[in-house]
Amino acid sequence: MIHLMIFLPLLGSLLLFAVPRRWREEVAGFVAALTLGLGLLIWRGGGSELFSVPWVPALGITYSVALEGVSLALALVTAFMSFVAVLYAARRVDNPGTMLSLVLAMETGLIGIFAAQDLVLFYVFFEDALLPALMMLAIYGKPNRMRALVKFAAYTLFGSLLMLLSIIGVKYYGGSPTFALADLVRNPVTGAAQTWLYLGFLAAMAVKLPLWPMHAWLPDFHEQNHDSGVPDVMGTLYKVGGYGIFQFGIPLFPDASEQLRPLLMGLAAFTALYAAWIAFRQTDWKRLLAYAGLSHMGFVGLGVFSLNETATIGAMYLLAFQNVYTGALFLSVGMLQERIGSLSTRVGGVMTQAGALGGLTMALWFASIAVPGLAGFIGEFSVLLGAYQVQPWITLVAGLSTIAAAAYALTAFQTTFWQGRPLGAVRAWDVRGTEWLVLALPLAVAVFFGVYSAPALRLIQPAVRGVLSGLGGQ
Amino acid sequence: MLQVPDVALAPMLPILIVLAGAVSSTVLGFHLPRRALTIINLVLLVLSGVSMATLWNSGATAFGGSLQADNAALLLGLTILVGSIMTLLVSLDTAYRARVSFPEFDAMLMYAITGTLLIAFSGDLITMLIGLEIMSLASYVLATLQDSRRAEESGLKYFLLGAVGSAILIYGIAFVYGATGSLSYAVIAERAGGLTPANVGILVGGALLLLAGFGFKVALAPFHQWTPDVYTGAPTSVSLFLSTVVKVAAFAGMLRVFGGALASAPGWASTLQVLTAATLIVGNAAALFQPNFKRMLAYSAVAHTGFLAMALLGTPEVGGAALGYYLLVYTLMTAAALAIVAALQRSEEGMTITDLRGLYYRHPAYAAALAVCLASLAGLPPFAGFFGKYLAFQAAFQNGYVWLSVLAALTSVAALVYYLRPGMLMFMPDRTPAREYPHGERTPTTLTVALGVVGVTVLGILPNLWYGWVANPGIWQGLAGR
Repeated sequence: MIHLMIFLPLLGSLLLFAVPRRWREEVAGFVAALTLGLGLLIWRGGGSELFSVPWVPALGITYSVALEGVSLALALVTAFMSFVAVLYAARRVDNPGTMLSLVLAMETGLIGIFAAQDLVLFYVFFEDALLPALMMLAIYGKPNRMRALVKFAAYTLFGSLLMLLSIIGVKYYGGSPTFALADLVRNPVTGAAQTWLYLGFLAAMAVKLPLWPMHAWLPDFHEQNHDSGVPDVMGTLYKVGGYGIFQFGIPLFPDASEQLRPLLMGLAAFTALYAAWIAFRQTDWKRLLAYAGLSHMGFVGLGVFSLNETATIGAMYLLAFQNVYTGALFLSVGMLQERIGSLSTRVGGVMTQAGALGGLTMALWFASIAVPGLAGFIGEFSVLLGAYQVQPWITLVAGLSTIAAAAYALTAFQTTFWQGRPLGAVRAWDVRGTEWLVLALPLAVAVFFGVYSAPALRLIQPAVRGVLSGLGGQ
Repeated sequence: MLQVPDVALAPMLPILIVLAGAVSSTVLGFHLPRRALTIINLVLLVLSGVSMATLWNSGATAFGGSLQADNAALLLGLTILVGSIMTLLVSLDTAYRARVSFPEFDAMLMYAITGTLLIAFSGDLITMLIGLEIMSLASYVLATLQDSRRAEESGLKYFLLGAVGSAILIYGIAFVYGATGSLSYAVIAERAGGLTPANVGILVGGALLLLAGFGFKVALAPFHQWTPDVYTGAPTSVSLFLSTVVKVAAFAGMLRVFGGALASAPGWASTLQVLTAATLIVGNAAALFQPNFKRMLAYSAVAHTGFLAMALLGTPEVGGAALGYYLLVYTLMTAAALAIVAALQRSEEGMTITDLRGLYYRHPAYAAALAVCLASLAGLPPFAGFFGKYLAFQAAFQNGYVWLSVLAALTSVAALVYYLRPGMLMFMPDRTPAREYPHGERTPTTLTVALGVVGVTVLGILPNLWYGWVANPGIWQGLAGR
């Protein structure tokens, strides 16, 4: 079943080229829903255990996949948001066949990233998710996309090639027979080599997380993407850096991660505050959201790098649900753009004509700025609580960004949805049809897991304990 | 007393079949149209491949080990044949447009392939040299055959620099002979360990001269200067041949000489390391600034020389396997990319990168195929270029060349940028009129492209299909012969 969940979207994506044009949306929706259904079935069955067969025996590369704990939670979120993205793209994008196909192709890459339990396989899926993202930007992007594209790809590849060298080094210096995570953990690398290899691994993850100063691709990537916000949803799902450090970085480089902890926590905290500060100055909704997401990712980094149980649980929680509400916010921005033809945060008065859109957007923003009762709160609060026990001052700096978050979110919301509607402006219609689903489903998820976090915590907590138990302290 | 040479037909058969194609093209050219000759030659190449398959694991030799059909030779020979078949298929469509559609073109091509196979099958330096010269002389003619100023200029440049390279190579062979008293790889490998200090000096000198000579042929910096001019100036189907088959053969020769005969000789590895680093930097940096797509591919071929050379720095077992895999993948992806250029270009100068804008909406299949080739060249999984690069990195890394691997990773980022730009431009919507040759999509070219694209995809997802064959260390331990 797990293999079906990973590769079904890719099959669907190829199938889309074969089916007649008018059926494409239905087929894509069906495939996405089916993938989500499979994920839920796996969840009900208590996760799917490690499955491992040799892939390239001569090189010790295995095809090892498992969906348990954190990886299952993140895979579920990916399947869910891909479904929402398909739902929206089918209605919003003209002639959506190619876009839907790319969304599904990327879904396979993303679920694969979370399922992979072999470093080379992880790398393969990691890069596979990149290609559809680039194509989406190339086909549907805005006039300056070439620069954004090159920047995005260059940063990503810069990191991941260093990671590839690290991967080779981990196996070689550790003397492991295969690249499977379990084997590598059994044959650890020690000493200075471990630190160097960790730095190489971090290079890739810091780009994806993204961590200052490797974040420069992110705002351009979102700004130049299609107005609908569909590629942005997939883009938010692509921020797998926190997961990579948690799943591979900590078990493989335990000493190095403890050694570098203060430095990395400092960088993460700085990223959170710096991004929130810049977000405040943005007048383009997409850039604003990009920096807001960057700020949240700073929190995720802070949690993971702290190596503290509470903080790491919070970071994983935040990583999972940040995708949901930030993704939905990107879609709501896409709707706003469809109505008023602009992404400016200064249009004013939309609320008077599109009340439901304004209300849903505001509720999603509340989730994003960690209002209690919504999913964002649990994540951010746990991160701060746990990180405070490790590095109080650094945590204080990061904590300041929650205040900044409220400031930038509410200001932008206020100048767009309240205030007076300019004279002669087009009439903005309200949410209709499937748009309700597109915004309400993620909001429902954010509310549900904000109030009742046990189902998600049951997945995340044991996995975090398992990973952190390999460390000496904490 | 005159001895009867040890002549065995079986190991020579793959070469003789190709030679028969060359001779028959020369003779039959007076009676048959060129297309018929090309088809005959294609059949002969396939037959040659079949005869190679029958020799698998036989370890047959001829002329007392001067010609050896061991598994390494067969694997490299098959790679050469794949590239040659792709060249012939493309030339079926484009030779007429390139004004090289006459029997001599086929004859020269088949002579060149004969030479390349001789290099792969060589068991001593003289056989290797004969093969190299046959290949080079035929290639000089191929590059000049088109009746244009650019082709003449590039052919002349190729000839002059190639001749210098050959001269240096021959000088190197003389040195190696002087140091070890033998031309046979096996004997050189045996004696290289226990030489007097004076002889070691001569051996090192010979190895370095050989390295420089091969450097000309595979386009290692700083001996790469002819490559971009020749690849751009020659007709595209010839560039395809030069950048794949000829390079594979030259690498086969390097593998034989440096991985086999001189494996234990000092000095050459540290020099090769510096040359590789220079090639990686020069090739990738120069490709970044090329406005012409064909010229960019030429520089990308230089850059790939750097990656391929990294495999040579590994131990023969790891490096040979890496090279064996990478060369096939490199042939498939480069040939497919150049086949598309050959089909769609307006003139033999190729197209500019901006001409590719919107190609997806005009030739969707070619654009998708070119995107796959570029992704594979850039080393993105799931395409086979990724495993090729991975193996090259691994070979160098495990043999202690860590900083070179890091440098290669960094230059790969530049590589990604220049592959990405055309790759993405193709998918951007465009309203201006098409700038490519409208009737480019013909069956043989499409077949070539399909072969390349399917090849890199399948070998990327299931690398074991080919790597399982080449990974056997036993193949590469006996590079020098037994």
